[in-house]
Amino acid sequence: MPAFRSLFLVAALWTGALQAADLRVAVLVQDAAQVSLQGDLVPSSTPGADLVAFTDELAREICRRIRSRCSVSYVTFGEILPGVEDGSFDLGFGNFLRAPKREKRVAFSEPIFRSASRLVGSPATARAFAGKLGQAVNLDNLRGARVAAMEGSQQQAFLNTIAAERELTVVATATTAGAFDTLRNGSADFALLPIRTGYALISHDKSRRFGFVGPAVADHGLGDTAHIILPRQKEALRRSVNQAIAEIRADGTGHRIMRRHFPVNLD
Amino acid sequence: MPIRPERYPANRLFALLGASFALLFTFVIVVLAVDQERVREASERLQQQTVPKIIRFQRLARNLDQLRQEGEQIFSSGTPEGRQQSLYLVMLVASHPSILEHSQAAAAARDTEAFLAETGRLATQDPAMLRVQQAEWQQLSRRLSMLVDDILVEGANLATADLEDVAGTMRVTRYKLMGATALLGGFLLLLMILLRRHLLRPLEKIDRALSSLSVDRPAPEFPDGSLAEIHAVEEATRRLHDAMVSNEAARRELQLLANRDDLTGLMNRRHFMESAATELRRAQRYGRPTAVALGDLDFFKSLNDTYGHGAGDAVLRTFAELLTESLRQSDLVCRYGGEEFAFLFPESTVGQARILVERFRERCAAHEIQLPDGLLVRVTLSIGLADASRCPIDLALQQADLALYEAKRLGRNRVVVAAETG
Repeated sequence: MPAFRSLFLVAALWTGALQAADLRVAVLVQDAAQVSLQGDLVPSSTPGADLVAFTDELAREICRRIRSRCSVSYVTFGEILPGVEDGSFDLGFGNFLRAPKREKRVAFSEPIFRSASRLVGSPATARAFAGKLGQAVNLDNLRGARVAAMEGSQQQAFLNTIAAERELTVVATATTAGAFDTLRNGSADFALLPIRTGYALISHDKSRRFGFVGPAVADHGLGDTAHIILPRQKEALRRSVNQAIAEIRADGTGHRIMRRHFPVNLD
Repeated sequence: MPIRPERYPANRLFALLGASFALLFTFVIVVLAVDQERVREASERLQQQTVPKIIRFQRLARNLDQLRQEGEQIFSSGTPEGRQQSLYLVMLVASHPSILEHSQAAAAARDTEAFLAETGRLATQDPAMLRVQQAEWQQLSRRLSMLVDDILVEGANLATADLEDVAGTMRVTRYKLMGATALLGGFLLLLMILLRRHLLRPLEKIDRALSSLSVDRPAPEFPDGSLAEIHAVEEATRRLHDAMVSNEAARRELQLLANRDDLTGLMNRRHFMESAATELRRAQRYGRPTAVALGDLDFFKSLNDTYGHGAGDAVLRTFAELLTESLRQSDLVCRYGGEEFAFLFPESTVGQARILVERFRERCAAHEIQLPDGLLVRVTLSIGLADASRCPIDLALQQADLALYEAKRLGRNRVVVAAETG
């Protein structure tokens, strides 16, 4: 009997070790000040706090579903993809849009929600540019403007492709809050941001000076489904994560998490 | 010349039928498998494409309704901050890809957002403008509601169309299954009819023919069968009947040879004794009269010595012919030994038998027999007659023999009845 008990204990420990793997998870912050918090609750007073809280809760729910102990790090967008690629992180929660260049570097999970991009700026700036352009400002007719975007984002990549032709100045920032700050301090005329991020920053801004400009855009790689990224070689982990995403979508957990942090349920 | 019907070897015929059945069954299986694959594909399409599409329609409808609700919120909110928050949400919802990818929804969302932004701006300057804008908002709100309904119906129609497609495929599959079952049933029925007609019935006829096969009946007749093997068995049955008839003829010939005297053609003594014993048992069982007699040619030894054995044989043969001609069909007569003959007269008293043998004796005595050398001779016959109605054949013949001695002693060429000897 003692031998049997020992065997059972070893088996239980071994099984538990398998199921409760340690994962390093990168969660996107919207503001550089949030990086230092490293897992502590982000104060609601900081820009994009709701988005960070939403991403954090989603990451922890997925970790729970795949029976893993997750060590969550709050990092800027530009650090996530290289970190996942070189194996520093096992999961990257940065609402990544699929892009061929990215797919060569990391693996993508099933979609977690859908996203689009939209210009953010002040109505006064929008009217001024509309006067110069002779029509209401949108991404398709914008010329001669300084446009901020997050470093390494699809928005920045798109702006870079049209910058020369449209005489645009692309202002790259480490965070979305940084991009929004360029509007405040006048170093950019517009910021091209994901719609949720744009909404979070606009609604958080006390000055009420900024809003969305022109229609949202989902083509040119600026919109579609958003994903979790993983190291390409961790196929088993990708399957587990996909299973967890399917489960939280099917049992309504995903919607509940979203409703806790956003007034509307958009997926 | 009759046309010989074509016959087929059973193994080839059944192999052909089996192959046809297998082919038909395979065809049915393939047809059903194809239909099953169609149903599977339709179900998979429903699950993989239609259901996600329906979910997307539902989400789009929900987002549009969310847009409408936030618009209502702008009009019902009492503070500029509240209106601004709702406007941000309107912008957020209107920017969602689900709305952007649906042209009608995108146009409606764009118009709604522009109208509500303008309303928010006007209301910030003068809250009374909300009432001015209300009427136009009602139209926009109704447009959004109708679009929500249309999108929900469109989503529901997608499911209906796909389900009808699946139901249609399954209906066709059911008809095909029924058709296939009927086809297989028909094939099996045809197979059973063919088996019964060309195998079972001929076998039954062969069985009946074999059961009643007899030399007393004509050879069995079989209709021309289609199966070579059945025809072979029928032919064998006919040959068996022919062999039986042939064997019976041979048996009868052998029996005849075994029961007859070679020289005279009359019964031999063994056969006479068997037949006489049987006849006596019958007669005595029913109390019928029977008489026996022993006859002996007079001076036959002298005839043999004088004219040779050839002459003796000729006399015996002629005498036998006379006997055959003179006696009744029912009377038994045999060459008892040498020139001695035994008689049995069924259904005859001694008196009646005496009349018969007297008549024969007289005829014999008057008959000229031509010898091989052409010489004509006459022979006489002495006869001892006895009643056999109440004693065994041996005893009756002993009595007849005694009477024969008496006839010889009294001078030959006469009939003596055993009773007369005392």
